[in-house]
Amino acid sequence: MACLPVLCGLPAKTRIMQTPPAIPVPVLRLPRGPDGLSRGFAPDGRRAPPKPEVPGSPGSPVGRESRESREQQARAALRERYLRSLLAMVGHQVNFTLHEGVHVTAHFGAADLDVANFYVLQLQTPIGVQAEALLRCSDIISYTFKP
Amino acid sequence: MAMRQTPLTCSGHTRPVVDLAFSGITPYGYFLISACKDGKPMLRQGDTGDWIGTFLGHKGAVWGATLNKDATKAATAAADFTAKVWDAVSGDELMTLAHKHIVKTVDFTQDSNYLLTGGQDKLLRIYDLNKPEAEPKEISGHTSGIKKALWCSEDKQILSADDKTVRLWDHATMTEVKSLNFNMSVSSMEYIPEGEILVITYGRSIAFHSAVSLDPIKSFEAPATINSASLHPEKEFLVAGGEDFKLYKYDYNSGEELESYKGHFGPIHCVRFSPDGELYASGSEDGTLRLWQTVVGKTYGLWKCVLPEDSGELAKPKISFPETTEEELEEIASENSDSIYSSTPEVKA
Repeated sequence: MACLPVLCGLPAKTRIMQTPPAIPVPVLRLPRGPDGLSRGFAPDGRRAPPKPEVPGSPGSPVGRESRESREQQARAALRERYLRSLLAMVGHQVNFTLHEGVHVTAHFGAADLDVANFYVLQLQTPIGVQAEALLRCSDIISYTFKP
Repeated sequence: MAMRQTPLTCSGHTRPVVDLAFSGITPYGYFLISACKDGKPMLRQGDTGDWIGTFLGHKGAVWGATLNKDATKAATAAADFTAKVWDAVSGDELMTLAHKHIVKTVDFTQDSNYLLTGGQDKLLRIYDLNKPEAEPKEISGHTSGIKKALWCSEDKQILSADDKTVRLWDHATMTEVKSLNFNMSVSSMEYIPEGEILVITYGRSIAFHSAVSLDPIKSFEAPATINSASLHPEKEFLVAGGEDFKLYKYDYNSGEELESYKGHFGPIHCVRFSPDGELYASGSEDGTLRLWQTVVGKTYGLWKCVLPEDSGELAKPKISFPETTEEELEEIASENSDSIYSSTPEVKA
C-alpha cells in the first residue's frame, strides 16, 4: 500500500488549499437604459447627420454655426483673459473679501486646475499670519490686487 | 487574483428578447440591435450596451432584427406580417415590406442593396432596396415556416432553416443546391464568412458545418437544450445558451466546457459574439440583454481591470473608440469614485 507523504499531521492529498474568493470584475457604471421619454437617436448624438435646411436664414446651419462659433470664440477669449489674470497675480499682494465680512490679505501663489483653491503665502488673518495656506475659492466673494 | 464575471444587464424591453445582431466595426464603434416580443426593437452601442434609440412602428412582436455592416440601416421582421427597413442613425422608418404571414428573419447583403426575408409563409423573398416598389423575387421549397435566412458565400448563396431542414440556395438561379435534414427542431443558425462555417443548434447539440458544402465539421453536446450558439471571430471559443438559463463557453478546438454562467432569469433565446470578439451578448425570456466578457477581468468597455498592487485603486479605464467625447470622459471620471461591485447578477440600469 502506498504511503502518502505526511505534512503537518495530514497526508498531502488531504491538505486543503484555502483559495481567496474570486472578486467580481468592477464596472465603471451600468449600461444606460431608455430615457422613457423619447424614442432616442439623439440629434446631438455621435452619428447625427447634418440638418438639411435652407442656408442664409437665422435658424439655418450657416447662421447658427457662425453665432455658435462667435460665442465660443468669445468664451475662449474671456477664459484666456481670466487665466492670464491669475498668472499676473503671482507674487503680488491680494486683498480677499470672504464671507461674514472677513477681509484677508496674502501673497498669491497659485490656483489649482479647477480654480477651486488658491495657494497663498503670508496670509494675514484676524488671528495671526499664516506662512502658507489654501484658500477655498467657494469662500471668496471677491479679490483685488494691483499688478 | 481570480476574477468573477460581471455581466452587464441592459434593461428596457418589457417582453422576451428573441433575436439580437451586431453590426460590423464602424468608425463610431459597433452597434447592437435587439428584437423583442414587445414590438419595439432597440439599438444599443455595442461595447457598452448603452441604449441609443427604439425603432417605433411595428404593430406586433418583432421576431428578427439585423443591422447592415456599417450600422446605417436596420431591418426588422415582425408578427404584423411586415418587415421594415430603418435608418439606424435617425431611427426613421424607411420602408415597410408587406408579407402574407408572420415574418421571422431578415438579412442585408454586404453592400446593403438587397434584403432577404423569410417567415411563416414558407417563402424566401429578396427585396431590391433601391427599388422598394418592385416586387421581390421569391424562392419556394420550404415545407414549414422559415426560422432563419442568411446570405452566404459573398451573397452568391442563401442559407435558410425551417423546423427540420437547412437548405442552401443559389442566388442567381434561385434553386436549391443542397439540404440537411434533422430529427429535432433547428433552433438557430449563424454564418461565419471567414472560413465559411455554419453554426446550427438543435436539441442539446451545437453543430458546425461547412457553409459551402453543408458537410459536418464537428458537434458538441450541451447539458441542456440549446436555443442559440455563436462562434468567436478567431474561432477559439463558442458560446451557447438555452433552456436552463445558463450561458456556456466552450473551447472550439477541444470541445471542453470552459465556463458557464448563471444570470438570466429565463431561457436564453439568442447569443452572439461582438465583431471584435471581446464580448458576447445574450437575450432572454426575462426581457433583458446581458453583455459578458470573453476574457474575464480585461479592461474593455464598461469593465475595468484591477491592478494587483493597488488593491484600493482602480486602473484607468481603456476607452476603445476615438469618438468618446470630453463630456463622456468627465462623466466616466466622476462616476469612477463609486465603483459598482455587483454581488448578484441582477442589476438593473
